[in-house]
Amino acid sequence: MSQIFDVAVIGAGSIGTSCAYYNAKKGARVVLIDAGDIADSTSSRSDGNILVCDKQPGFDAIFAKASQDMFPKLENELEYKIEWTQKGSLYLTETEEEFEIASKFCSDMKECGIQMRMMDHQEVLDDEPYLAKDVYGGLETISDGSVYPIGLAYGFALAAERLGCVLSLHNPVTGIQKEEDYFMIQCKNGDILAKNIVNACGVRAPFIGKMVGLDIPIQARQGQILVSEQTFRVARRKVHEFGYMLTKFQSGSYERPVSERVKRNEVAFVFEPTASNNFLIGSSRSFVGEDIRSEIDVMQALAERAIRFFPVIADIKVIRAYSGLRPFTPDHMPIVSDTPVKGFYIAAGHEGDGIGLSPITGTCMADMIAGDKTFMDLSLLSFQRFCS
Amino acid sequence: MKREVVIIGAGPAGLAAAIEATKNGCEVLLIDENRTAGGQFFKQLHKFFGSQAHSAGIRGFEIGKQLLKETEEIGVEVWLESSVIGIFAGKRVAVLRHGITETIEAQSILICTGGAENPLRFPGWTLPGVMGAGAAQTMVNVNRVLPGKRILMIGSGNVGVIVAYQLLQAGADVVGIVEGMPRIGAYGVHAAKLKRAGVPFFIGHTIAEARGKDHVEEAVIAHFENGKILKGTEQKIDVDTICVAVGLRPLSELAQMAGVKHDFIPELGGFMPIHNENMETSVKDVYVAGDTAGVEEASTAMDEGRLAAVSVSYSLGHLSSQAAEQKKEEIRDRLASLRQGPFGERRMNAKKRVVDMGVNL
Repeated sequence: MSQIFDVAVIGAGSIGTSCAYYNAKKGARVVLIDAGDIADSTSSRSDGNILVCDKQPGFDAIFAKASQDMFPKLENELEYKIEWTQKGSLYLTETEEEFEIASKFCSDMKECGIQMRMMDHQEVLDDEPYLAKDVYGGLETISDGSVYPIGLAYGFALAAERLGCVLSLHNPVTGIQKEEDYFMIQCKNGDILAKNIVNACGVRAPFIGKMVGLDIPIQARQGQILVSEQTFRVARRKVHEFGYMLTKFQSGSYERPVSERVKRNEVAFVFEPTASNNFLIGSSRSFVGEDIRSEIDVMQALAERAIRFFPVIADIKVIRAYSGLRPFTPDHMPIVSDTPVKGFYIAAGHEGDGIGLSPITGTCMADMIAGDKTFMDLSLLSFQRFCS
Repeated sequence: MKREVVIIGAGPAGLAAAIEATKNGCEVLLIDENRTAGGQFFKQLHKFFGSQAHSAGIRGFEIGKQLLKETEEIGVEVWLESSVIGIFAGKRVAVLRHGITETIEAQSILICTGGAENPLRFPGWTLPGVMGAGAAQTMVNVNRVLPGKRILMIGSGNVGVIVAYQLLQAGADVVGIVEGMPRIGAYGVHAAKLKRAGVPFFIGHTIAEARGKDHVEEAVIAHFENGKILKGTEQKIDVDTICVAVGLRPLSELAQMAGVKHDFIPELGGFMPIHNENMETSVKDVYVAGDTAGVEEASTAMDEGRLAAVSVSYSLGHLSSQAAEQKKEEIRDRLASLRQGPFGERRMNAKKRVVDMGVNL
């Protein structure tokens, strides 16, 4: 009989590698399985934002803050360069109405312990001198930061390996059979036996779920990014429009004053500087299956929106465009949970927050599997909420 | 905006294809990023080889002029100074033109963006005065400027020796041709002209270093065996220009973007799009021709362009099956005769492999 692992994590993105690391840290014998390589899919196609500013007040914000607070120590702990920086983030508001909504949001978030503050017109322009002169005001979130997402996944995976975790890469899972007290995971390179499984497959989580008869309501929500040439520092830190919140959650009655093209591609301006002085421009949202081809209409909408907030961008060249798939759930909250199949867990569906939420997700998953109490009640993240 | 056929690149393949497709009744848009059409034709002052059907004996730029005249006469729509920035789903071609990005919906796309020179890395390779042989050819033949006075050519293939000879004709001193292989690469007729002019060939040698303060002042060459420089064999040559002619590779970024299957075919320049006997790729209605479809020569490029154009004309309903087949056979016969001889046969066999893969896609 071959060895039976305590935990098999399927999916080696930021979430899966984190689950592997924190389970191994607790002393479990862990195997990390992926059809491809580490950070092959969503984790290598995302920005590296570690944000609390785009969470909803309440559980969402507290959970995200707990994860964000883990990052400052992570680089030393993982002994891997994850390029953590913490410069805060800036939301822009275009109109008085938006500013009012943002102010209400700001005070709700403060009640959850999130450090935020409103900035008036002049303060915002002083903060980022290249901004369009008609920007109404802003909202600063002090604790926001960013990492290099591929580095983060490698850091987790290699640290897990040092703790005895077996990395089983380029080894697609073809089927799962439930035995009395373990699972037989059929893989391309042979069977792997494990008492527990963590399904951390992001947009492919439903595919693995089906193997044990679970219907996981995760859909791929595509997003595209433009990459600029190396240039001067257009903005010193992450800047995005408050309308981002509205497109992300598709909620509220407020309509942004934007063009048809921006509207139909659900584009909201996001700017992220990089260490090498290129910058990234996001963001778009669309449901197009697993298609990750770039689309010119979206690219044009992204550029249009960027130029609206930073007119100087009109004279800067775009050198690349790429897109990735966010694992979307109907209520925008991830699934970090056990399931009706005993020993089968899900850590997936983080939409655009998988990088930022990875440390806390891995920690909670390790606690759950070990039978320990998680740091807070996670019933809002339970798989059960989709089982009625 | 809609067009039946969008042809990207107005070099030998693109021009020949545009003329053929237009004559067959297709509505064609030919796009090129340069200020004039013609691709590399206008750099080619030498006479072409082959039979009369291949314009043999005519100088490259004369063939280019002829093709341009024909595109004008039959009214091909040509967009110059227009860069194709991408091919998107639904065969939409995005073109940056006069500062504005326009999107054209095509029924068929032919990609003939040509090839690019391979770089060679050695100490000093970024010094001003080190350049591709193609760049030197543009300077001397198109812009009528000598790139330098004392020139060392790296690579003795056809490009290397032809450009070296043209530099010589224009008044430069070609101090030598360096070849890593133990034999001269080019056709004998081209190499012989340089030999007769007294230009030394350093066979089994490579460039070890380019030296100079802020411009090339000296080249160091050395014996080269089994991919390694033999220590102690270095010799200095007083030069101000080093031209690099170490082969071309297909420019196929747009084909990659369109999702076309690629493979590595060393005889045709390396990583390249796979196509079938009609020049169609793994993506339906997306065609390739010329150096994009494997680096060969201007004469094969023109015929590949025509072959693609005939296939497109048939699939759009502008040619009967019988008429198309007859045209294709004529073109394929010409291509076969162009791919004769020790050089041609190697390419012919590689092309057969490509087409076998393409048919089985």
